Amino acid sequence: MRRFIIFIIVIIFIIIITPDAQAQQVSLSLSPPLLELFIKPGKSIMVAYRLDNLGDPAFINLKVLPFEAKDNLGNIRIKPEFEGPVRFSLDNSDLQLDQPFFLKTNGSQQILLRIRIPENITDGDFYYSLLAETAPPTASEGIDSARAKATIGSNILVTISNSGNIDIKPRVVLFDILSKLKFNFLGKVIKIFDSANKVPLIFIVENKGKNMIKPEGQITLKGNFGETAKYDIISKNILAESQRLIEATPSASLDCDDNNRKKQICLFPTSLILSGFFIGKYNLSTQISFGENSPMIFGSTTFYAFPFKMGGGILIAVFIIVWIIKRNKE
Amino acid sequence: MRKFIIIIIFITVITIIIKREVLAVPMDSSRFKIESANVEVAGGNKSSSSYKLADTVGQLAAGQYSSDGYIVKAGFQYLHSIIPFRFSISNINIALGTLVPSTPTTATTNLTVYFGGAGQYQVTAIEEGPLKTQSGNAIPDTSCNGGGNTCNESLAKIWSSTSAYGFGYGMSGNDIPADFIDSTYYRPFPDRTAAESPSAVMTNVNVGKNRQSTVTFKANISSIQPAGSYQTVVNFVATPSY
Repeated sequence: MRRFIIFIIVIIFIIIITPDAQAQQVSLSLSPPLLELFIKPGKSIMVAYRLDNLGDPAFINLKVLPFEAKDNLGNIRIKPEFEGPVRFSLDNSDLQLDQPFFLKTNGSQQILLRIRIPENITDGDFYYSLLAETAPPTASEGIDSARAKATIGSNILVTISNSGNIDIKPRVVLFDILSKLKFNFLGKVIKIFDSANKVPLIFIVENKGKNMIKPEGQITLKGNFGETAKYDIISKNILAESQRLIEATPSASLDCDDNNRKKQICLFPTSLILSGFFIGKYNLSTQISFGENSPMIFGSTTFYAFPFKMGGGILIAVFIIVWIIKRNKE
Repeated sequence: MRKFIIIIIFITVITIIIKREVLAVPMDSSRFKIESANVEVAGGNKSSSSYKLADTVGQLAAGQYSSDGYIVKAGFQYLHSIIPFRFSISNINIALGTLVPSTPTTATTNLTVYFGGAGQYQVTAIEEGPLKTQSGNAIPDTSCNGGGNTCNESLAKIWSSTSAYGFGYGMSGNDIPADFIDSTYYRPFPDRTAAESPSAVMTNVNVGKNRQSTVTFKANISSIQPAGSYQTVVNFVATPSY
């Protein structure tokens, strides 16, 4: 009996002290997420990054790879091999690029990245990403598995210029409203909305120059009763020889998660979503600059809004009332 | 009484039609988010005859530095964000157990991206090779049910047939591609050894503070698949926008 009690106590003890089996997780943080550098050939600078490991202990490898614009939404495509004239190294005494190092849970590592531009380099832009990647876990024999590797990046935009001048050649590719109801009238495209509907605007700018540019300006909405609203352009980089969707604020937001993802308005990223109660003709226009003494670009479009839903509702209500009155008379 | 009923019906119908959502005044939108700023005693602009520096003490690489020969712009002060870019994977060892012919096996992991006012990001995925044994036997990447439901690296389709073999993934949650319509939709991973490009599995052009998605790995083998321990590595790469 005594043995049985001891056995039970041992079992309970084992159950209590056995830790829960936990999945191995990674969580990395890298800051700053973006670095913009305008630099002359022959110069060198050092930038301090901070890498935090908020997951399980991990071996982390640092590398720098070039990237290009993937689309007009600000996404990037990392190239598989290093290219370009910019030279990267680490000033840390105990770290090197492409040499894995250990970072414990809640550990933090300062990364001193040296960026050097050799002499006699022609002017131009070069875009890179500093990448911190974890080593995948070791394979478990006898179990079929996919092992995940996490990589986090921070973008580095380098503009090399001997003179300090940059090449600014912007062009408006699209400044238009996404409308379900539109038709041609006397050679003009008439776009119509219900008064209560959200009005989505798409504004895309192309940078035909050799250096990245940053738009500044406003989008102005003018109604037929003289009402005016202004929306500030969010200043984001347009890489050399690429296009970018320009966004403005304050904009209404859309719920595009889960069930709404397939909705037309969620399928196309927008620059600005106007919300309110619109009646009549409205004009949207923009005027964008790219810094001092830069060329200006312009865009303009028009839409009409009428209270279709409200009018329909009133008609239905009137119909119901007339029907009730008639029925009661009978 | 009749007039009263008519008026009530009329008011009710009109109210339902013109009813607008009542919202609290938000401190954010899809384009920006107002966050509590750091109060820094030494923050501000500094200058001398040879340089100009605007910084915020306590933040690494923050500030705009201008000197003879270069200008650097970096950090939250410039990006107006105090939330650093952070990427998490809840489980990096996605065990599929012992695969049984014509019996699909799934396992999941969660991807989470934290980002502040800077907003835009994307997460891409690529496999370092197909699921294979050390001796080189491979489970091919899935093409889903086939026919009209043939998926590829950039288009998810239905994969529900137990006689459709391969290895692939499905997605649910925030910021996932629109072609993952429900839990029956899958894609194959792009294969680095086949020189394929990574596929975007999460992307958001707006502000994203705590965006989470679930990746479901799925494998289904035929009865002629050689026995062995099948392994692969999938690389998830999170990058902010520029």
